[in-house]
Amino acid sequence: MKRPALIEGMPDAEMPVVHITANAVPEQAFADLIAGAGLYELWSRFAFHDIRQRFRRSVLGPFWLTLSMGIMVGALGLVFSTLFQQDMGRTLPYIATGLIFWGLLTSCITDGTSVFISAESSIRNVPMPVSVHLYRALARNVMIWGFNMAIYVVVVIWFHVGLNWNSLLFVPGFLLFLINTAWISLTVGVLSARFRDIPQIIANLIQVVFFVTPVFWSPESLPHRPAYVTANPFYHLLEIVRAPLLGNTAPALSWIFCLIMAAAGVAVTAWLYRRTHARIAYWV
Amino acid sequence: MPASLIGSKPVAHISIENLTVEFAIFGANSRSLKNRILSQATGGRVMPGAGDVVTVRAIDALNLEINDGDRIGLVGHNGSGKTTLLRVLAGIYKPSGGALTITGKVGAVLDPMAGMDPESTGIENIYLRGYMMGMSRHEITGKLDDIAEFTELGEFLPLPMRTYSAGMVARLGFAVSTAAHNDILLIDEGIGAGDAGFQKKAQARIESLFDRTPIVILASHSEALISSFCNRRVEMEHGALKRAV
Repeated sequence: MKRPALIEGMPDAEMPVVHITANAVPEQAFADLIAGAGLYELWSRFAFHDIRQRFRRSVLGPFWLTLSMGIMVGALGLVFSTLFQQDMGRTLPYIATGLIFWGLLTSCITDGTSVFISAESSIRNVPMPVSVHLYRALARNVMIWGFNMAIYVVVVIWFHVGLNWNSLLFVPGFLLFLINTAWISLTVGVLSARFRDIPQIIANLIQVVFFVTPVFWSPESLPHRPAYVTANPFYHLLEIVRAPLLGNTAPALSWIFCLIMAAAGVAVTAWLYRRTHARIAYWV
Repeated sequence: MPASLIGSKPVAHISIENLTVEFAIFGANSRSLKNRILSQATGGRVMPGAGDVVTVRAIDALNLEINDGDRIGLVGHNGSGKTTLLRVLAGIYKPSGGALTITGKVGAVLDPMAGMDPESTGIENIYLRGYMMGMSRHEITGKLDDIAEFTELGEFLPLPMRTYSAGMVARLGFAVSTAAHNDILLIDEGIGAGDAGFQKKAQARIESLFDRTPIVILASHSEALISSFCNRRVEMEHGALKRAV
């Protein structure tokens, strides 16, 4: 059997060397997360494909996302401004940003529950880091968020929302928002693969939390702040992105809450992923 | 023999020492949270949780050295651990005991259709499948013409894959799966596709793939396939080596 030493197109440089021992398995958790992130070409393409797939052969395509969000924002805005006799110019931008970011947050979490379960066949048959499936789901939801943000732009222009220097705080706010979303997705993803009741529990919880969280109603309308607002992590996550986009500043409490949550959450997730990443292939 | 050609460059190699793979199979019951909580409450006396979980030892203290130039035919009964071994080598299953050292980029054809989507067109599926084979966008674009020509699907390629016959789908999957360059290639349950005329072309393509891949491990029940492509034969039984040549 003969084989030419150099073949066109074949990388002739160094070959990767992998040494896998049973004891070193937990240490590979971080390598898995980093190697997964490195395959951005793959997961961004698949994320894009997921969205295109959903709207294939429809006339509007992914702009159905924008339209659905627009209808929802318009309807809720109309109901609330007439019901509580509030100014449309204040209510609608608030509801629009609230719903857009609530959508991003909760779809990351609900998609998180199925992130490994639904990728079963790829996980078991394709050699790639399992974290790729997490990045794919996150990327898909950020792309959907992009389509929804068109509504925000329309609302800002229509109602002359006063943007100012505070609005720049959106950048660190969104970063912190994404870090928190990512660790929550990964944690529910791992737990859901192991315990199949978790997806149902999460789906029910999110429905309830939607009403107790100031997404479409403002806590300013309450005489005093109840604990389900002050201690509600979802409220603080929304606040650090919503306030800058409306030209306001988020309370310091919200920033501190989100920073602590990110630090604690990332630490817990890292511990969990170290223990479990190698078993995901067996669980799905 | 290949070492002299390559000179001082690293050579593809796999070393498996005392490899053991065990996994717990959860029954429909123990996967639910309710049982976990109930068994906590009963203190494990009434209903010991351990009874629900069956541990399977899929690979049992396996030792094997695989060198550059080896074409291994992996044989054994159903459930003897062939696919599990391939999955461990692909990095999908992690060992619960022992160690393995792999030098070289690993590619695997465990499911020749992985990544493909019936609603997408043939061209799109070449990309989707190509990514799953570890190719970059640039690499796939470079091979697109070769793959498209090989499939002989012609004007069907811009159509959604759901309009294809099963044979046409298999051709497409085969063409992309055999286009990748890897140092180590793992193949499960044979490889091949299409009608009689296509089989000849497929044979030639597999030969060229094997020629440019330093290590190939092929799990199959087909003695004909193994005797025509492989130079080593490894037989497994109950997760252990029965015979290795």
